[in-house]
Amino acid sequence: MAAAVTTEGTGRRRASVPATAARYAAPIGLLVVFVVFFIATPDFLTVGNITDLLVSASILVMLAMGQQLVITVAGIDLSVGSNLPWAAALLGFAVSAGWPLPLAIVLAIVGGGVVGLVNGVFTARLGMTDFIVTLGSLSVVSGITLLLTGGNTVPVSSGFLQGLALGGAGPIRWFWLVALIGALLVAFCLFWTRTGTAMLATGGNIDAARGAGVNTTRARMLAYTCSGLFCGVAGVLLVARTGGADPSMQTNLLLSSIAAVVLGGSTLSGGRASVVGSAAGAILLQSLVNGFTLLGISQYYQPIAVGGVVLAAALLSRFQRK
Amino acid sequence: MQIAGAFTGRRVGAYVAVGAVLLGSAACNRGSDSGPAGNGKSSVRIAIVTRDFTNPYWAALRDGAIDEGKKQGVTVNVQAGETETDSAGENAKISTLAVQNYNCFGVVPVNATNVITPLAPVAKKKTPILNLDTQIDPKASKAAGVSYASFIGSDNLQAGRIAGTELLKKVKGGDVAILQGIAGEQNGINREHGFAAATSGKLNVVAKQPADYDQSKGQTVTEGILRAHPNIKGIFAANDTMGLGAAKAVQNAGKKIPVVSVDGITAALKSVQSGGLDATVTQYPYAEGQMAVQACIRLAAKKSVPARIVAPIALIGKDDASKALASFPKPFKPYDNPLAGTKAGG
Repeated sequence: MAAAVTTEGTGRRRASVPATAARYAAPIGLLVVFVVFFIATPDFLTVGNITDLLVSASILVMLAMGQQLVITVAGIDLSVGSNLPWAAALLGFAVSAGWPLPLAIVLAIVGGGVVGLVNGVFTARLGMTDFIVTLGSLSVVSGITLLLTGGNTVPVSSGFLQGLALGGAGPIRWFWLVALIGALLVAFCLFWTRTGTAMLATGGNIDAARGAGVNTTRARMLAYTCSGLFCGVAGVLLVARTGGADPSMQTNLLLSSIAAVVLGGSTLSGGRASVVGSAAGAILLQSLVNGFTLLGISQYYQPIAVGGVVLAAALLSRFQRK
Repeated sequence: MQIAGAFTGRRVGAYVAVGAVLLGSAACNRGSDSGPAGNGKSSVRIAIVTRDFTNPYWAALRDGAIDEGKKQGVTVNVQAGETETDSAGENAKISTLAVQNYNCFGVVPVNATNVITPLAPVAKKKTPILNLDTQIDPKASKAAGVSYASFIGSDNLQAGRIAGTELLKKVKGGDVAILQGIAGEQNGINREHGFAAATSGKLNVVAKQPADYDQSKGQTVTEGILRAHPNIKGIFAANDTMGLGAAKAVQNAGKKIPVVSVDGITAALKSVQSGGLDATVTQYPYAEGQMAVQACIRLAAKKSVPARIVAPIALIGKDDASKALASFPKPFKPYDNPLAGTKAGG
């Protein structure tokens, strides 16, 4: 049983046409959106705009990678919305306390990881419901962040971080590299290691996985911790991009991170993962916002379009579940 | 079966075509927004980015900018993030617009620093940038090589002072409560400072709590304050939505406690008219939007603008409420506009 689920996750199953379409919903959707925006405006498919689009999507890609791991083990991480500003605030706090920047960055990433670990302990070890645990930590961490910063945005003026946000190696921007490395790490971990197999099996059918000798507790704790670490890295990117640590909860990014993973073809019931899909989902969501911005289409239509795309992906994924 | 398949295929094709046409026509609309063709003024392209449009305040700023753009025959694209605190979303909008050929930017930041990094490439191209409504951190901007042609906004300290003076006039002394905005949001802090400056030593602040610029939260927080401090004589809310919530809570408690707030949104003006809110210090985001476009037109024509342009504010009590409502969102009293008479291409 566990083995069957894993195989499904790695995509070696023969599938019907709609199922294949569902599997590649995000990349196909991305292509469609690109073509439509290309027809609609000459400003969309330019080097400058695509460069910016991918930079803008990088933070979401990182969050989606963490969310991907958690959703793979049939969990959900709502704490992303406050873990991200928490990591950013730690970075801001450390920098304003005079820490050297590399140390501050490490603190931010570790701080994000700690929140993930706590989520993992509550869900995997103490057997509490994922949704409730991460909903609780979403709120608690947000409060701690507000306390740490006194509710104020901590400005982080750093040439290095600004260079990270605006610079790159030739045409390759640093943000892309960070997102790419993150995605490759997740893909490697999920599809080429025993840990990944354990995660997929845990999400597919936790009892069967446990019966087959998989350490499901460890797999789930690891997924949450990794999600926290990704929040930490995303927090560093966020500070680089926004020039400061804003303690406000980032609910948009939280919801988008879940939407990106669902768009990518992973189901919330777990056991199935697609790293390419989740990354494409994140870029697709960002493309919609980008294209609408270029076209000057009213802000009010944008959430409808984003929601519509997510619903369409969910509809497609009905085909995938036989 | 085959027919059905072909039909489905054709239908999908049709949808795609319709979608493309819709988007295409949207693009055309954008073109026609730039005014009557062939008048030679459409070369001015203005991008304005604010926090969100769910807050009527920013929606009014957008409407002012778009109306002025239509009047002047210039292209104006107003964009925003999704919520009042969506610093990353707003940031992405700016960086998207930064690589397009706009020749003037107007930006309302979410916080003191969130817009600086994406504006760095804009500043590098020597495209003029206006700082709207909320001050962007000057030190961090300088470090990033970003400078602003002008700051256009209303004086929130002054708004707080006016509100404080008004409440003091009404209650003469005693205990009062303050509803703060989102923790750390600069305009709210300034309003509170202004209020304190006008009332310190005369009014005794016994409760001070954030209600996130949210109406229902304003109501809940006020209900709590009324229970804890039944003897308060007055309430100052850092914005109208919270003020409306506070007025509702006061009304539900069967008390008569004056509530003064800041912003001048329609709902608040109506409430002042009907005796809910005591007064609101109205700001004119619509005028702010107009002024931003006027300043951009001047800057695009390489003319100078004042380094600081103060948008009008006014105290609206019961006597003025109907007049203010009638001319909403435009100010009903004449105000000092250093950019008055700006004409595109002129």
